[in-house]
Amino acid sequence: MSDDPILRIEHVTKRFRGLLAINDVSLVVPRGIIASLIGPNGAGKSTLFNLITGYAPVTAGAIFYGERPIAGLATHRIAALGIARAFQIARPFRDLSVADNLRIAGMFGKSGARDVDATARRALDLAGLAELAETPAGAMTVGQLRRLEIARAVATRPELLLADEPCAGLNPTETAELVGILREIRASGVTILLVEHDMAAVMEVSDLVFVLDAGSKIAEGTPAQVTSDPRVVAAYLGTPEPAPAASAGA
Amino acid sequence: MTRQRSERTWICLSLAALVAAALAPLVLAPFYVRVGQLVLYSAALGLAWAILGGFAGYWSFGQSAFIGIGAFVGGLAEAELATAPPALQFLVGLAAGSAACAVIAALLAYPVLRLRGIYFAIAMLGVAHVFAELNNNIDIFQGSLGLTFPNIGIAGLDPHVFYYELFLVAAAATLLAAWLIRRSRFGYGLLSIREDEDTARMLGVPTEHYKAAAFVVSAVIAGVLGLIYAHSLGYITTGSVYRDDTNLNAIVYSLLGGMGTLIGPIIGAAILVVLTHVVLGDFLDFHMFATGLLLVLLVLLAPSGLVGLARKLVGRKKVRR
Repeated sequence: MSDDPILRIEHVTKRFRGLLAINDVSLVVPRGIIASLIGPNGAGKSTLFNLITGYAPVTAGAIFYGERPIAGLATHRIAALGIARAFQIARPFRDLSVADNLRIAGMFGKSGARDVDATARRALDLAGLAELAETPAGAMTVGQLRRLEIARAVATRPELLLADEPCAGLNPTETAELVGILREIRASGVTILLVEHDMAAVMEVSDLVFVLDAGSKIAEGTPAQVTSDPRVVAAYLGTPEPAPAASAGA
Repeated sequence: MTRQRSERTWICLSLAALVAAALAPLVLAPFYVRVGQLVLYSAALGLAWAILGGFAGYWSFGQSAFIGIGAFVGGLAEAELATAPPALQFLVGLAAGSAACAVIAALLAYPVLRLRGIYFAIAMLGVAHVFAELNNNIDIFQGSLGLTFPNIGIAGLDPHVFYYELFLVAAAATLLAAWLIRRSRFGYGLLSIREDEDTARMLGVPTEHYKAAAFVVSAVIAGVLGLIYAHSLGYITTGSVYRDDTNLNAIVYSLLGGMGTLIGPIIGAAILVVLTHVVLGDFLDFHMFATGLLLVLLVLLAPSGLVGLARKLVGRKKVRR
């Protein structure tokens, strides 16, 4: 792993009136890895994504992208620096074609207006959507929309991709395809911060895992380290049901 | 490749239509030349509205505010140069009217474009009414007294034909501007705002700047059209330009023809103007009812407008083949 982190979150707190959604969270994401953010519903994972992307302001603390502080920057400026986000519920531009969805991403984000068509084509190929290029995004299946969501984020040429539950609602085959796409994206040099509930997928692709519970970070480490951490087991993973005892007299 | 070919076809068709429209007054009766003026004025207004409403999805119910500002500020500026040649007066009026629309739209952009959907629409209706009241009640604007405009036509050319051609130039320029915007990075940014503003921002689209720019462009074009319209009438009061039916019609043109398209507002304006002034022109009590009924039917049967309906039918035909 690199010593040059791509993302540093330092003592970040987010309060929605009386609700403490993120409580003094600090974490460091090295470049070139897939890091996962896991935790039960309401742990603050998506809120943390909102803070990183400037979608919501932080209450306290600092966020650094490389060496640059980004808390307080407008969302589009953060995107232009090279942070892209794929939403939990795919939000395609439904009335536009798949290709136009990707062209728009290629025109903005970090890529600016350079090689828009080539960027869109690469993203189409990556997501395996080349044959659907002229299809209106609104006519796609859930699995295809998930891939479009990832492809569109990639078309902005990010250095850091925030993927919010990309495998939610997918069947095992589609999940495997998506995991393959995430690996390909990492291989191209993009760092990925993943929020995901599919633990098999998380363990398979992650180099580093952060665990949030009730707005606080309770653990971080390799997949093996966090799965054996008693706090993580208690808060999120749970203990396996004991095997039913053999009936008396059997 | 297909996209480029289709674009070339549209450019050729548009140029042919432009030449045909320019020559039309040679064969049209004076009444139809006047109807032609209204079609071109309405089409240009519809296109100007579509830059913000059709592309970015911000439906303004207050386009008449800028028609009025362009007409009155331009007219007052022209009045200051009463001894200058009418063409020069007109150019100064255009500059003053456009500048006023640009400045006022830029100032309004920040507060009103924070609103979305119906809230933005109603806020703009309020803006139009506020400016109409100011125009009517502040003496310097002469809104209730009225403003006269000199004939800027060319000697020997029927003024109706001259204004027809002037509206044609304005409509063609508006179409060109809308086309250039639609195919630019700015245009794609506006489309993304229409589709999902939060996602657009997340992709790096500077949504606030783009909305404000579209608002200003749309306002300036409306102001220019307002001044030309005022010249074509020769005399205006507040009620001539700050009109609620204009606010509504600017939207209806796109709804009727096809929202978000370039050809939609032109088709919609042509149909509505011809319908109300020619087909139903003799049924004064009936024509508003009939027009309303037709619009309701069209929205129900073809919610994506006539362009959308045509695309659907062509699509079905291709599938059958």
